[in-house]
Amino acid sequence: MKAQPTPSSLGASRLSRQVRRLKLTAWRVAVVAFVTAALVYVLFPFYWMLKSSFQTNVEVVASPPIWLPRTLSLEGYVLATRFIPFAQYVGNSLIVSLVTTVVCCLFASMSGYVLSRFRFPGASLILGVILFAQLVPGTTRIFPVYFLIQRLGLLNTYLGLIIAFVGFSLPYATLMLQGYLRTSCPMELEEAAMIDGCNWFTAFLRIVLPISAPGITAISFFAFLGAWNDFLWSSLLSTVGDLRTIQVGLRFFMGEQGGGGGSQVNAFMAACVMTMIPGLVLFRLGQRYIVRGISAGAMKG
Amino acid sequence: MIRSRNRFCYLMVAPTLILVVALGIYPMLDTLRLSFLEYNLLRIAKHGTPFVGFKNFDTIFHNPMFMQTLFNTLAFSVLIVIGVTVLGLLIAMFMNLEIIGRNFLRSLFLVPWVTPPVVGAAIWLQLCSTTMSPINHLLKLLGIIDGNVRFLTDVRTLGPLSIPFLVIAAVRIWHGLPFTSVMLLAGLQSISDDLYEAAEIDGASTLGKFRFVTLPMLRDVLLVTMTLLFISTIGHFATVYVMTAGGPNNLTNILGVYAYTQAFVFYHFDIGAATSSIILVLTGTVAAIYVYLQSRMAAIEAG
Repeated sequence: MKAQPTPSSLGASRLSRQVRRLKLTAWRVAVVAFVTAALVYVLFPFYWMLKSSFQTNVEVVASPPIWLPRTLSLEGYVLATRFIPFAQYVGNSLIVSLVTTVVCCLFASMSGYVLSRFRFPGASLILGVILFAQLVPGTTRIFPVYFLIQRLGLLNTYLGLIIAFVGFSLPYATLMLQGYLRTSCPMELEEAAMIDGCNWFTAFLRIVLPISAPGITAISFFAFLGAWNDFLWSSLLSTVGDLRTIQVGLRFFMGEQGGGGGSQVNAFMAACVMTMIPGLVLFRLGQRYIVRGISAGAMKG
Repeated sequence: MIRSRNRFCYLMVAPTLILVVALGIYPMLDTLRLSFLEYNLLRIAKHGTPFVGFKNFDTIFHNPMFMQTLFNTLAFSVLIVIGVTVLGLLIAMFMNLEIIGRNFLRSLFLVPWVTPPVVGAAIWLQLCSTTMSPINHLLKLLGIIDGNVRFLTDVRTLGPLSIPFLVIAAVRIWHGLPFTSVMLLAGLQSISDDLYEAAEIDGASTLGKFRFVTLPMLRDVLLVTMTLLFISTIGHFATVYVMTAGGPNNLTNILGVYAYTQAFVFYHFDIGAATSSIILVLTGTVAAIYVYLQSRMAAIEAG
């Protein structure tokens, strides 16, 4: 016999539905409020940077500050390239970052491959050493590396910077590629190639490298961005005018021209915008790989 | 066959291993060695670099500026790890919701991650300038404050806290949010819906589901992210150096900046090395434990 809804039970369920709807609305308001606040926190600096780069300097340093540009002007962008040798600095950063990326991809794929596949004596010790080197921050190594580069006569050279950059990027690249290859590439293809007469190295070149392309793409992004964005090692090893990377150049711009203190701020903001372009482009192109790379690190733990 | 395979493996690993040891491991040990020498560039011509035992450490631990710096570093780490983890988790939970435009919103939250520290620091310097700050402007419009907040120059302290300290913490949290959110999101997405359904059937509220399903399942990811955050905040350099160089009055100084300025501004490479050694001890112990636990887990997995 089916239970009939009584008037009192109807009233009770209607009340609980209303309470539930209220709770849902309260939650929803809270979530929207939080997300809006978080988005403002995260993105407002970029709005300010963009806005300032397109204003005249008079507007930028106004007090109280002007939130919406009254006159749009490219003055900042034109001046940015005149206050500092912007193109030269960007060129320096580009060269060093590109070479670092290539070297990292090469060495990381070689070691990531064998570390992911083969259980050879000492493999886990080597992995442990690489992981340890990746975890510990660079500020623990600055002086010996500085003296080393100095002794090699490579201060203020591209090679010196590249060496330092490869030093801090290679561990992460190796570990990422090792993790990627371990989970996504079966060994059958190489085994088939070897039966066909390839030796180990040719199998690596012809079979493994093409398959690991997504993983290599991911580490290229990280290696390039790591080198492009670096400040610690570039300010340590390359301080003389011409060979500065763009990050050190920006800092120099801040100090000399008082970009932080109020001199040619719109130009400085324009320089900042331009410096962010490679990062944003790479991010747009490779967001999938970047996110996958970070997530893989989360799951391995 | 096995021997030729092993030889192949060693050859393939060699470039990476050599570079990692030469540029990573050996310099760390060398930093320790340097911290036991006198290495003052102003005296080196006449006195060389004699062994002085623990004298450098004795010097720094009796130096109030260093002790304040050490304390700042630890305080920053606690604040930043908690801040990034809590906010990152909330953002990750939001990014996990099934709403329209989810991917676009996700990419918005990630922008600080590709921002160079110098650029981030520079923009925040503008936002925190006493006279030109839009934050001050807004606060005054809303009637919350009367005069400008001196974000980076106010030297009043409440115990260990000061306005510059909190401002720097906010900037560093801002920079660390994207990476942690992505990691936590990956963790969230690995929790199967069945567990939530089971909890609902058992009568769990939203908060209950969070406490009894989300948090326990996230425990490992949380541990990894908090460990990585801790290590990177202890050894931090760029943002603080560019924004305040440790000032005002040493209120925002951290070990990394202290080491750098002691060596390259005051020529005391011995003090710098000693400071770096402290960073090494703090982060190296945590890193070593982490590596050990990882390898034990891998050994268990391999069977």
